[in-house]
Amino acid sequence: MASLQHPFQCLRYVNRQSAGQSDILVATAGRNLYSYDASSGQRLDVWPQPVDADVEDQSSDAAPASESQGPPEKRRKLSESSEEQKDAKSESKSKDSNKEATNSWTNIPLLTVAHGKYVVIMTSEDKCVRVLSLDNEGKLKQLSARTMPKKLSALTLTPDENNILSGDKFGDVYTFPLIPSGEYVKVQAPVKPYEPSATNLTVHTKRNLESLEQQMRQAALSRTSQAERVVLNFEHQVIIGHVSLLTDLISVTRPADSAVGKRSYILTADRDEHIRVSRGVPQAHVIEQFCFGHTSFVSSLCVPSFEPKVLVSGGGDNYLLVWDWLENQILQKVQLPGSEGETTVRGIWDVSLAPTADNVDPVKAIFVALEGSSQLIYYTVGSDNTMTHQDTLQLSGNVLEVTGIDSRGTILVAVDTLRQSDSTSAWKSSSQPPLETFRLSSGKWAPVEDPMVTKINSEGTSSLPTTVEEKQQKELNDSVYHLSNLRKRGDAYDD
Amino acid sequence: MTTQNPPAKRIKREEYRRNVQAQQESTDGSIIKMPQKKFFRQRAHANPFSDHRLEYPVSPAHMDWSSHYPAFVDPDTSKTTLSGGRKLTKEVEVVDIGCGFGGLMVGLAPLMPDTLMVGMEIRTSVLEYLSSRIHALRSQQQRLKNKAANPSSTEPKDASAQPESTESTPAPVPANDDEIGTEKLFPGNFENITAIRSNTMKFLPNFFGHHQLSKIFICFPDPHFKARKHKARIISESLNSEYAYVLRPGGLLYTITDVEEYHYWVLRHFLHGEQPEGGAAPAASSKDLFERVSDEELALDPCVRVMKYETEESKKVTRNKGNKYVAVFRRKADPEWPA
Repeated sequence: MASLQHPFQCLRYVNRQSAGQSDILVATAGRNLYSYDASSGQRLDVWPQPVDADVEDQSSDAAPASESQGPPEKRRKLSESSEEQKDAKSESKSKDSNKEATNSWTNIPLLTVAHGKYVVIMTSEDKCVRVLSLDNEGKLKQLSARTMPKKLSALTLTPDENNILSGDKFGDVYTFPLIPSGEYVKVQAPVKPYEPSATNLTVHTKRNLESLEQQMRQAALSRTSQAERVVLNFEHQVIIGHVSLLTDLISVTRPADSAVGKRSYILTADRDEHIRVSRGVPQAHVIEQFCFGHTSFVSSLCVPSFEPKVLVSGGGDNYLLVWDWLENQILQKVQLPGSEGETTVRGIWDVSLAPTADNVDPVKAIFVALEGSSQLIYYTVGSDNTMTHQDTLQLSGNVLEVTGIDSRGTILVAVDTLRQSDSTSAWKSSSQPPLETFRLSSGKWAPVEDPMVTKINSEGTSSLPTTVEEKQQKELNDSVYHLSNLRKRGDAYDD
Repeated sequence: MTTQNPPAKRIKREEYRRNVQAQQESTDGSIIKMPQKKFFRQRAHANPFSDHRLEYPVSPAHMDWSSHYPAFVDPDTSKTTLSGGRKLTKEVEVVDIGCGFGGLMVGLAPLMPDTLMVGMEIRTSVLEYLSSRIHALRSQQQRLKNKAANPSSTEPKDASAQPESTESTPAPVPANDDEIGTEKLFPGNFENITAIRSNTMKFLPNFFGHHQLSKIFICFPDPHFKARKHKARIISESLNSEYAYVLRPGGLLYTITDVEEYHYWVLRHFLHGEQPEGGAAPAASSKDLFERVSDEELALDPCVRVMKYETEESKKVTRNKGNKYVAVFRRKADPEWPA
């Protein structure tokens, strides 16, 4: 592998054995989504399909083949005028612009899988949530594309996996059906003539009165050509809102216990140190709790599948907090390496493994990676719901994503192929394999050979052009490492 | 060059404020004069989305209220907050969001002398005025009390000090807000009110716990006239969820505005619209957590009168013959969990 290659940004192991099918690994790298056969590592599909196998640079303007197979895009760019006679024209025009839009992203930072047969992704620059079907042969086909008003920072599903939950940079959480049900009839608000909300009863200064007069004149002029309000043209609902940048969003179901039945919750985290516990849909407007304890932004939430009462959270502090999240009770504060103000938690992942010949006890593991660090910190969760640091794994590059494969007792780690270890900006001269895998033996995670990983690594992902401008390099760096921008600077304007 | 120097107005203002500060810090027992509003004016808007340089507690359990309500500090020194401060004998339960110059706080204080109330304001100058005002009010009340208890005291004669009015004739309401509390004793000594700088859109839950508050006031909020600024309005469905979190069931949220359009905005964000007969039930939202309080009930509520006639903004609206739109909502109990 001489040329530089995109690292995997998202990984998801799709367990389909219960459905009598072979497992699949889905992953995103650069602007592509890949599906792999989990046993052989054979690449099953790439989306979007390159028209020409050689075309790998992003300037390609031909529409990918798989794109046109999807249902016609319902999205219609709202032109300045909504006049009828122009509609036909703008329809064809907007189709063109949609084609352009399908090629306008450079990375896919969010991915989730529903029912083992739908892949939900957000393509970065166009803020588009796309649902793709993943068929028995691992082929990917786009079913829908819905453009969100703001870039998302988190994407997940409701417990029944029939609805998507998304959290955006404006602090809003939306929910919308995984599969749009029929044609969405936009609720057409009656076009009201514009009327300034201010009146001469509410504004009094000379300047304000003048501008009110001007508004009145303007209103009279533009009474006919009022542009209709831009609203999302698909079925959706805003269910939670933070007046802050939303950083993470998870959906948790607590099993029934002696006192209460099964209950689902939504946990949201923001840049203003908050972790909010709301009820699940349809009662997400009821806030049950806030978990207070962080003094910098929160970037990652993890409720381990093996212990849903526990939350592990981290962000711009140089510690993790372990919570009884329904009670706003801190069970443990776990110190992280690095000094206050520099350490940023990139991700927290839970992995549980059934007992094997090597490990008599079931493994309840938490892995933590820091932003721009090539180390993966391994903790175990004890019966008292506190974490114990067991080991720190050294990777060949910065850790980007971790996923556990319990059927093999291994973890799969995506490492940065472009940046040098422990740097978020200095580039390597040549790429190294994008995946590493480890197996636990006698308490330590040791690198192992896995035919799937070997095969995927040998094929690699998509290559970058041989020369990458400095500006483009920076953009690529920012697309992977952006968490430190969340830190508040002390020099904020104030009055 | 005059252009090189700050305007004379600003110099005067800064000097005045320094004096107010010095006067408050002095402990020689001299009478603290009421601050004058004209030295604390500030533009009416602040960006709620920017970081500012705000101080806020990590959690309500960390909040140290002791310096704000010295008269309500728990004598038991072993009781401390998570940040190590002294605890109070009771919890704060009334909040005025965007309290401005504090007319509502000062008006409500004697009505509920045993209820702790806090005004929250994002603008520093305005907040400074209110803090000075509360400080001066307490000191003036103390002086009046001392005088009443000991009429022969040789206290220096204050030009403004009038002989106290008898119980039978109510004291005339001073024409100037800056003079309230200088001539008449009010129950509670204004010990139950305070002001804090905060951005409540972001940090309200840092100050108050689940169901802690009995009343929230939102008086003459910034109307943010432009449609693209509507997202900065203090009333929205998602913020209403937070108000519901800090309000106890049965608690009241008061709103008043002089902007008719904003009034309808408020109603729209707290109440479900008219549903067509047989139509689908409205989607669940924070509207399910509130119900509107009837006009008959409001007529009996003294808080409404204070809100309508005693806040600075309401006086201004009266002066300009504007309209006042009142809407009060009661926090309902949380819905049952879905089965």
